[in-house]
Amino acid sequence: MWHIAKRELYDNLNSLRFALATILLLALMLTNAVVHLREHPKRVRAYRANVTAHQNHLASKANESLYELAEKGPGFLNKKPSVLRFCAEGGEPFLPGYVIALYGRGGRGDLKYFWTLEYPSVTPNLRNISPDVTKIDWGFIIGYVLSLAALLFTFDALSGERERGTLRLMLANSVPRHTVLMGKFLGALISINISFVLAVLINLLVLSTANDVHLSTEAWGRLAIIFLIALLYTSLFLALGLLVSSRVQRSAVSLVTLLLIWIVFVVFTPNTLASIVGGFSPPMSSDEFQERSSQLEDELQRELLWKYFVHPEDTREDSIKKIQLGGEYVTKDAAQQERLHETLLKQQISQMSRVRAVTRFSPVTIAQHLLEAFAGTGFERHLQFLENVQSYVRQFREFIVDTDKVDPESLHIFGIRAGMSQKPVASEAIPKFEDTLSLSKDFNTAAVDLLLLTLFVIVLLSGAYLAFVRVEV
Amino acid sequence: MLTTLIRRELLDNLMTFRFAAAVLIMLLLGVANTVVLIKDYEQRLADYNTALKTHRQQLQEDITYSSGELKIDRPPNPLSIFNVGFDKRLGNKVIVSHRYVPTLWDADKHGSTNSFMGMFAAIDVVFIFEAILSLLALIFAYDALAGEYERGTLRLVLTQSVRRGSILLAKYISAMLCLLVPLLMSLLLAVILLTTSTAISLNTDDFLRIGGIILTSVVYLSVFYLIGMLISVATRRTSTALMLSMFVWGFLVLIYPNMILAAIPRPEAPKARAVSAYNQIKQIWEEFDREREQFLKNDAFPGENSHFNMMQSGGYSSGYFDRNSSTLKYFYLKPLDMEQLKEDAESRVPHAQNYYGFLGPRITDTAEKTWLIRKPALEAILVQPTNVERVWLKLSPVGLYDAATQAWAGTDLKGIRDFFEAARVYRRQVVDHFYNTKVFESRQWFAGDKGTPEWDKLPQFNFQRLEVDTNAKRALPDVCLLLMINGVLFMLIFLIFVKSEV
Repeated sequence: MWHIAKRELYDNLNSLRFALATILLLALMLTNAVVHLREHPKRVRAYRANVTAHQNHLASKANESLYELAEKGPGFLNKKPSVLRFCAEGGEPFLPGYVIALYGRGGRGDLKYFWTLEYPSVTPNLRNISPDVTKIDWGFIIGYVLSLAALLFTFDALSGERERGTLRLMLANSVPRHTVLMGKFLGALISINISFVLAVLINLLVLSTANDVHLSTEAWGRLAIIFLIALLYTSLFLALGLLVSSRVQRSAVSLVTLLLIWIVFVVFTPNTLASIVGGFSPPMSSDEFQERSSQLEDELQRELLWKYFVHPEDTREDSIKKIQLGGEYVTKDAAQQERLHETLLKQQISQMSRVRAVTRFSPVTIAQHLLEAFAGTGFERHLQFLENVQSYVRQFREFIVDTDKVDPESLHIFGIRAGMSQKPVASEAIPKFEDTLSLSKDFNTAAVDLLLLTLFVIVLLSGAYLAFVRVEV
Repeated sequence: MLTTLIRRELLDNLMTFRFAAAVLIMLLLGVANTVVLIKDYEQRLADYNTALKTHRQQLQEDITYSSGELKIDRPPNPLSIFNVGFDKRLGNKVIVSHRYVPTLWDADKHGSTNSFMGMFAAIDVVFIFEAILSLLALIFAYDALAGEYERGTLRLVLTQSVRRGSILLAKYISAMLCLLVPLLMSLLLAVILLTTSTAISLNTDDFLRIGGIILTSVVYLSVFYLIGMLISVATRRTSTALMLSMFVWGFLVLIYPNMILAAIPRPEAPKARAVSAYNQIKQIWEEFDREREQFLKNDAFPGENSHFNMMQSGGYSSGYFDRNSSTLKYFYLKPLDMEQLKEDAESRVPHAQNYYGFLGPRITDTAEKTWLIRKPALEAILVQPTNVERVWLKLSPVGLYDAATQAWAGTDLKGIRDFFEAARVYRRQVVDHFYNTKVFESRQWFAGDKGTPEWDKLPQFNFQRLEVDTNAKRALPDVCLLLMINGVLFMLIFLIFVKSEV
């Protein structure tokens, strides 16, 4: 078997396709590294500036009073950019990089509305008039270029030999067919990976020479996993190439078949399926959202607000009652607006999850999901960020309640200035939002995709074996 | 002689597996995607109609002129099925008001588009041609001459008194005829599906536009066939030609459009220009604010706030500036919707009318004054850098084809901006209507207690896409460039072929 693999390897290394593939991969990987070096520091700077703004906002509000802090909210909460973004862009331009936890809706009369957690619905793309292009990340290089290269390396592996008659010659020796197949497979895998590894090494070399992009040990581990995924994904297409090549008599026909399969499954299936599935149960429209938002506000006003405005404040008891009414209105309003925002978000997420589940039909999507999971970008990462935000917000609210309890002068009525502590808060004590990424969670989200990819590879490899064993030479 | 050659080539091509595969796959993908695209279009059209209705209703509910938000919507373009361009991405809802001159960057989105879904690239009919037809053209071309060299049949043919040029021409014509079959069939099917959908109505201009798209597709196809032929004649070996063709295809279709924008440094927007324009606009508005305060001071109610103390509790009152330095947005907003006035407010109403009668025209004028600064500045800081990117993309035939078909379909940036041009014209009509009917100084401007605004009397907005010759004007330069590439490639092939030894 090693004999065959070695022969294949020499054959491939001397071929035009190897040279072309190497040049192409090198150029792409270099571009990728250069672009990452150019853009990543900018992203990090912007993130740091935003975090500082968040902390300054907290400090300035805390200096005023607890009420100010509770009313204005913790400000913008930002998503931490992943250092491995060059591996998978993950549709980040379509995912908002922040969540608004800031007051912004004015008020009614002397009542000021509280902040609510809002998820920006407008992505940066709405005002983007640049031409539409895919970013060159590892996901693109592996998903499209490497898979195409894998097909170009294997389309004539068996049919070419059959055409030249060398296959018959080889099988005349006492070589079992599966050995031939595995030899071909390994030969192609190794030769493709020589150029891929070369490109990856250049890419990482360029990246690690830079001062402002640091790859930690964990990042290197993730890169290793990503490399293994690339290996698995390449094997899938090599197996497909061998499968078709073993059944088809002529290599030109084999190539045409393979290319058409490739185009249908890699280029068209993900997007076409996405638009089909995306058509079902769309989330509410922006108009409907606004309509429901103002409807909720109106209802609550009719229910509570007039009571607040007409309530007398002659005696102390009455004025406390009035404060309670005002506080109740404001807190209820904030809660219901937040629920509405969450409903919309949930609808969007469930639509997206459905689409992601269905598009797994295409191997390129699986690979992309996996790369995103390990690079810490993309949709799953966005969900993780939202989870982080929600737990932080709970923590922040508990902090407000606890701090207010300590103040003996406060009435402990939330939502209204007169009912809450007016004392400044020590800004160190306030919980600050810090976005985190954890590998163990990524493993969980990636497990299904990983299994699916392995399954595809096994099915195709055994298919190639069966096809080749039964074919007449 | 030429016809004999063409007939031979045609028969050769038609009987192959690749031809059958080409037709099958084009039909399959064409039909599947067209159905999906039509459904998507119908959804967007329904969204558009709902938005129209909702916005009309919302407007009727507004009880004063100043709080009314006159929203207009951009209808989806039926030809976006062919090339979606910017039709889905950019804003399609914009507020028309005397306060500012609307642009693309002030627009929002109606409809239930899930912003996350933007992650999936839109597939349209042109994309199918772009990716698959170009591949098929190369597959048809790689052995056109190299195969004959290898088999030695070329020598045989040339012993007859056949000119080399006519061999080339015969090969080219017959292959193009073959490639036209899947192209026309899938396009025809798309058009048939389009006409069966009740939601889509195409007029003569639209059919002319589709004709333009077909023409451009044929020219594009021929570019790729000629590239394949060039490789074939230059390499003389089918296996090398095939490999090279595939890599050239991958490079031109897959890699170049995506890589070039990343590889060239993104053209930076001139920051100084943006800052200076923003400051200029800010100054003009600040001057307006001073004038406004001056007017209030000289009013018969010194020290009075701008709602003249007429308001019952509830309702908006404050005036404020809405601004955004990245899109140079800056305008003054003072919506008032007093449902009821205080009992003693009646005497102050004429003063308020006087004040708002002064304010409205001033705001309108200031908005137009700042527009003179904003328009060229936006052009320089937002549009110009992306135009540079577009030029880079056009260095490859794929980019040219995409740009040309977008222009035909009217989904390019210019086509979308036509809508906002129409919105600006409409804004002028609305403002004129306000002047003519003395809306600014009316009581309905700020109070809804006596009489409501007559929203029905406003001029109606109706957006019509421009005539087909505008599309043609925008598309033809790119089509001509594609034709030029064709000519150059053919010359090259001819030269190499004539000089080569058989």
